[in-house]
Amino acid sequence: MENQLRNAIRKLLEEKTVDVAIGYGRVGVGGAVGAVFVTDPSEVDRLVWNAECRQNLAVHLSRPEVKALGKPAIVVKGCDARAVVVLANEGQIDRENVVVVGVVCEGIQGADASGVATGTLLDKCVTCVEHAAQNVDILIGDAAKAAELDAANAPNAKTAGKQAKLAALLQKTPEERFQYWRDEFSRCVRCHACRQSCPLCYCNRCVADKNRPTRIDTSATLKGNFAWNILRAFHLAGRCVGCGACSAACPAGIDLDLLNLTLANAADEQFGYVAGKELGAAPLIGTYAENDKEEFIR
Amino acid sequence: MSQVVTLEQLKKLAADKLSAGARVVAPVVDGGLVSFKEISDAAQATFAPQVRVQNSIKEFFFPKHEVIFTFVRKGNDVEVIDAPDFEDDQIIIGARPCDAAALPILDPLFGWDYQDRFFQQRRAKTTVVTFACKETDAHCFCSAVDGGPDNQAGSDAMLFDLGDGSFEVRTFTDKGAALFAGIATESDKTGSACAPPTCDFDVEKVAVWITENFGSPEWEKLSLRCVGCGACAYVCPTCHCFDIVDEGSYSKGQRVKNWDACQAGMFTLHASGHNPRSTQGKRQRQRLTHKFSIYPGKFGPYLCTGCGNCSRSCGASFGVRPALETLNADVVQNQED
Amino acid sequence: MENIYKPDAMEVLEVTQETADVKRVRIWFRDPEKAAEFKFNIGQFGLYSVFGVGESTFNICCSNSKKYIEFCFRKTGRVTERMWDVEPGDTIGFRGPYGNSYPMKEWEGKNLVFVAGGIAMPPIRCAIQYALENREKYGKITIVYGARTVGDLVCKSELDEWAKYPNVDVLKTVDPGGETPDWDGRVGFVPTVLGEAGVSGDNSVALVVGPPIMIKFSLPVLEKSGFSDDAIFTSLENRMKCGLGKCGRCNCGSVYVCKEGPVFTLADMKELPDDF
Repeated sequence: MENQLRNAIRKLLEEKTVDVAIGYGRVGVGGAVGAVFVTDPSEVDRLVWNAECRQNLAVHLSRPEVKALGKPAIVVKGCDARAVVVLANEGQIDRENVVVVGVVCEGIQGADASGVATGTLLDKCVTCVEHAAQNVDILIGDAAKAAELDAANAPNAKTAGKQAKLAALLQKTPEERFQYWRDEFSRCVRCHACRQSCPLCYCNRCVADKNRPTRIDTSATLKGNFAWNILRAFHLAGRCVGCGACSAACPAGIDLDLLNLTLANAADEQFGYVAGKELGAAPLIGTYAENDKEEFIR
Repeated sequence: MSQVVTLEQLKKLAADKLSAGARVVAPVVDGGLVSFKEISDAAQATFAPQVRVQNSIKEFFFPKHEVIFTFVRKGNDVEVIDAPDFEDDQIIIGARPCDAAALPILDPLFGWDYQDRFFQQRRAKTTVVTFACKETDAHCFCSAVDGGPDNQAGSDAMLFDLGDGSFEVRTFTDKGAALFAGIATESDKTGSACAPPTCDFDVEKVAVWITENFGSPEWEKLSLRCVGCGACAYVCPTCHCFDIVDEGSYSKGQRVKNWDACQAGMFTLHASGHNPRSTQGKRQRQRLTHKFSIYPGKFGPYLCTGCGNCSRSCGASFGVRPALETLNADVVQNQED
Repeated sequence: MENIYKPDAMEVLEVTQETADVKRVRIWFRDPEKAAEFKFNIGQFGLYSVFGVGESTFNICCSNSKKYIEFCFRKTGRVTERMWDVEPGDTIGFRGPYGNSYPMKEWEGKNLVFVAGGIAMPPIRCAIQYALENREKYGKITIVYGARTVGDLVCKSELDEWAKYPNVDVLKTVDPGGETPDWDGRVGFVPTVLGEAGVSGDNSVALVVGPPIMIKFSLPVLEKSGFSDDAIFTSLENRMKCGLGKCGRCNCGSVYVCKEGPVFTLADMKELPDDF
């Protein structure tokens, strides 16, 4: 599959359909996988595809340093592909000006503290029903295999993996839950790795950076950390695609995914909305539909 | 003849110091990771071996958030109330040599003409007990920056795991000796550290390239995958950039200093809108130049202990070691060919 | 042990509005002991606080013979917006002096050429005031100062006072289109007017502070007039927080603007990497 991917990208670069291909390569310590930006067709062998391709590369589509490289092709997994759709739906990218190269992903493995793959799939992969990336221009990999894996996960898609972890947390009393988040946020250092890794956190001036007036304390105190993390989750309501980049990037191991999943579940249950499924769909929070429930409006 | 303590004695030492009103910091299992935290009960500490702890001990000398002063407006006047001195004893048990080595590296900066009492008082009141390393991982490169698995810099005492629930203890300073006086027992067992980590790049050569190539396009290329968060700076034992911010209201509040990171897009943004470091390449250049050129030029040592925290934490698989390796491969080697 | 980050409480003595968005504030220590021991050198800067809002960096823009200090600021951001509202009798914070200074002693016996644009007059004003207070120690003094419009000129009334001193040439100017019907100065960009000022590098030093474009075009005029790189001075600014060399923000390569600056010669500037 790696060869298929490399061939597809080589063709795009040779024919000058794109100027740069954003994909995965072995660039980190001990060959850890990270983003590579290939502009020369002779360098496509830098691209890899395997179960360690964790990052959501869609975050690079909004970065000026990457935009400066020209028209991109981007390699996406199923979850990442939905981020590209949200970016397009929110007017951040011109979908016609990005070549989306989707892959059939059989699941991403977790890593230990030293970055070594553990052999067990990430929580989000346990409930994945989009093993073949959707809304793509090119699909690399066995679509039939993807359908099999989707079918295998479908029965437990709303109950296993991260959903199970969230359900267990929601079983606790509000006081216990609050203590859980107090413990988690006590480790937050406000590095904003969550925000910087998230493809949908593209605001030029984030609310946390505003100081006239200061809306969120910049200090890494419980007050500031609660405000920041919960506000970010709210700003992602109906937009977060559950790629888990935030939790993966957090150096303090805070499971920010759980906050985002709570709101994503609410969007699904209350409005039947799943972010990034449909190209051209209107944003959830920004739209009023006539059949929206109104019982909470007094 | 060596001095030996058991794990139980270590825990009792922690408990006794807590009872005496000291602050005790140790590795704690928290949220699936091991982090240095201030403990309230000796049972919270874990001395099980692991390569590294997620954060550094920097925050116990240079907290992530610290009040500089408080103020109260009284009519037209403002009463400025100084932050209290740091007067507690503080004991850190379980640091790594790469954590402790950062302390003498940071000393000259916090004493550069103006004495930062926030840092210096904590330094004076803290005893640092390190564990010699029993294993390294691919991220470690302490040996390339004058460190090592049993490097003594910054440690008051070092413990060598003997594998049987006990540790050889070597004390290097009066503080270290005082801590273990009457606790350690004589023995003929001695411990050792593991072999140092291997690196195939020469930091000195890369540092020279960094100093001489400020304008190189290599910086932008190198930093393309960096998304500009601050994770690397915040888990780093030597990074010390900070922000000063007022909180509260016009009539009553405080001024605080908080950790900041040169990787953040707005770090050098002027009020006029001009930003000297407007791209990630320029910001990464600043970080690496500060660590390997500016700081050694001013104070002597590299501003890096090779602990690998940055690359372990980096969501983009970047970090100091990958940066040095890439620079070495792309440019330093090419220069030599 | 002393807290280096703690400001002193200062009484606001006087506030002068210079332009639509620039004010000059005169302050002095509420604590008489602090007042008695305070000293600074010409060209140094301080950090001025609005308590509860924040701190900003400005030059001390008056000479050091007085029982007050002054700073000038433009209403631009969070702190300066609130600083705009201070009135005599209020309290603000000050810490300093920080940085290096103009070598006023080494300049004795020389002709002084001051070139400023817009809001950049304050960093030069302290040197002008000092030189005029010690008039006999310096040679000819030439002041070239311009702004986009008459309304943007800072310290307008002082310009005319300075011109009354012996052997002092004040060439005030506004950009073409910036003049008013009763404007009695020149019309032309600062570098052009500098070219007409008849300055010579012979036994002279120049202090040039202004927007990058003004500096860019003024330097060739000075070089052609015979000024060497060591004889041309400027005052840099960069984003600052601590002002005393610790927070890692204001450095330009290995030069910390708060410690080894803000005063630099052109020779120093040519060594600085493009980091400001």
